[in-house]
Amino acid sequence: MSVLGLLRPTTVTEIPENHFVVVHPLDDVHEQKMSTSGLGAMPMNASVKLSLMALRAYLILMMLLVLYHVLDLAGVFGRHAH
Amino acid sequence: MPNEVLSISTAGVEATLPPVRGRVVRSRWLYSVLTFLTVFGPGLIVMEADNDAGAVSTYVQAGAQYGTRLLWILLLLLPVTYFIQEMVVRLGIATGKGHAAMIYQRFGRWWGLFSLVDLQLVNFLTLVTEFAAISLALSHMNIAPKVGVPLAALVLVVMVLSGSYRRWERVTVFLCLLDLAWVAIAPKVRPAVGEILHSTFVPGIPAGGVNASLIFLVIAIVGTTIAPWQLFFQQSCIADKRLRFSDVKWTRLDTFLGAVFTIIVAGCMMFAGNAAKIHGISFSDPAQMANDLHVFSGEFVRSAILLLMINAAVLGTTAISLSSSWAYGEVKGWPHSLEMPIRQAPGFYFTYVGCVGLAAAIVLIPGVPLQLIILGVQVLAGIMLPSAIIFLQLLLNDKEVLGKQFVNQPWNNWVNWTIIIVLFILSLILAAQVAAPNLFPAS
Repeated sequence: MSVLGLLRPTTVTEIPENHFVVVHPLDDVHEQKMSTSGLGAMPMNASVKLSLMALRAYLILMMLLVLYHVLDLAGVFGRHAH
Repeated sequence: MPNEVLSISTAGVEATLPPVRGRVVRSRWLYSVLTFLTVFGPGLIVMEADNDAGAVSTYVQAGAQYGTRLLWILLLLLPVTYFIQEMVVRLGIATGKGHAAMIYQRFGRWWGLFSLVDLQLVNFLTLVTEFAAISLALSHMNIAPKVGVPLAALVLVVMVLSGSYRRWERVTVFLCLLDLAWVAIAPKVRPAVGEILHSTFVPGIPAGGVNASLIFLVIAIVGTTIAPWQLFFQQSCIADKRLRFSDVKWTRLDTFLGAVFTIIVAGCMMFAGNAAKIHGISFSDPAQMANDLHVFSGEFVRSAILLLMINAAVLGTTAISLSSSWAYGEVKGWPHSLEMPIRQAPGFYFTYVGCVGLAAAIVLIPGVPLQLIILGVQVLAGIMLPSAIIFLQLLLNDKEVLGKQFVNQPWNNWVNWTIIIVLFILSLILAAQVAAPNLFPAS
């Protein structure tokens, strides 16, 4: 049997002794995942607070760099190298 | 569940189960191989689609400037890119939800909106650069972009409209495997094997020493190997494919093989750039390099590089557009699955078609400021990547969501925080260079 033949699924109702059944994830029954409903926002422990604070600082720095670039392009700093 | 039935069957007892679409096999080895093949896809696609038009340009330029001397960086990036995407695998399989949905739920509306808007912006601008590459390659093949670009957009739209995740995945995996042609090109440009092995396994600084040009090229290589859309794409892809808890190990293998494949292809792109360096060819883009290189390496190399440029852009476009559509659908609460026909998920498909169509249309506008768009991509990606990875790392430490089974282990955290800090520094340097080039002395 070709590889494609092996991959082609059929309807399986019985598994013979010492056999295995390969099921594509999309053909399988829906799996119960980790429940996230009703969890709400993440608890703000020290590491989460610190990480988000570092992220805010980084974003502010990036915004300042972009602002500098815009002002530089506008000629606010007197000369423009480009 | 069928997986539970499997464990019964291996105990030597015949079992009956509710009708299920599958394949009965006798050998455990064959069972493992076929299970892997059914799971295989998202890992390869997320990695290889990252070898998009921008990546081709960056790797070829690296080869043209420094020969094979920067191959060791690719080897270093292999575990980095794997570790990041492996976290995405665990989060996607455990929750069955996309990355954007998780950020919204666990970090609130402000961070959710920030991530979504930033992702959509950087994705869209990247799409414009993908179509610009398609247009460029077509011009070198004497095909009018006004004909070729809309045709490419149409193909990209048709790829997703079949209402079948599997069909889209098969086509996309095939396109990924076409990139093996880069490996076929490698011997034609005659790289020195000893030099390649030395450059790959012995880190070294190219002649000329450390200067601004080298630093920014290294940052560009890192930036093109790890992109923000990859986190959103693979998690949504895993959720759409409905990968199961039992698929974790196979998905990890898929991701690892995808990373290896991508790094090998990236290395071969550097060889092509190296060939241009050896023959003293200077070029402004890979298409021009392909044209000039054909005198030395033949018509096959020229045509292959031009076609592979288009393939890279098509792969990048389908993956990036899907990451936008999935993320938008998750946040808006719209149905968002490739398994759904258009009438059931109109918003999801409209976002995809809109992204592809608009990006293609922009490229066809005469005098479009491509340099400004590339600059925008660099700045926005610099903002996006560290923040997306921070959220990923925090989510992977969220025991409420993942439980003990999928949460990061201490060693994961050490590795990942190190990667995050390095990426923060590199993104900041790149953004500083883009926003304020005068801060850095010329090399």
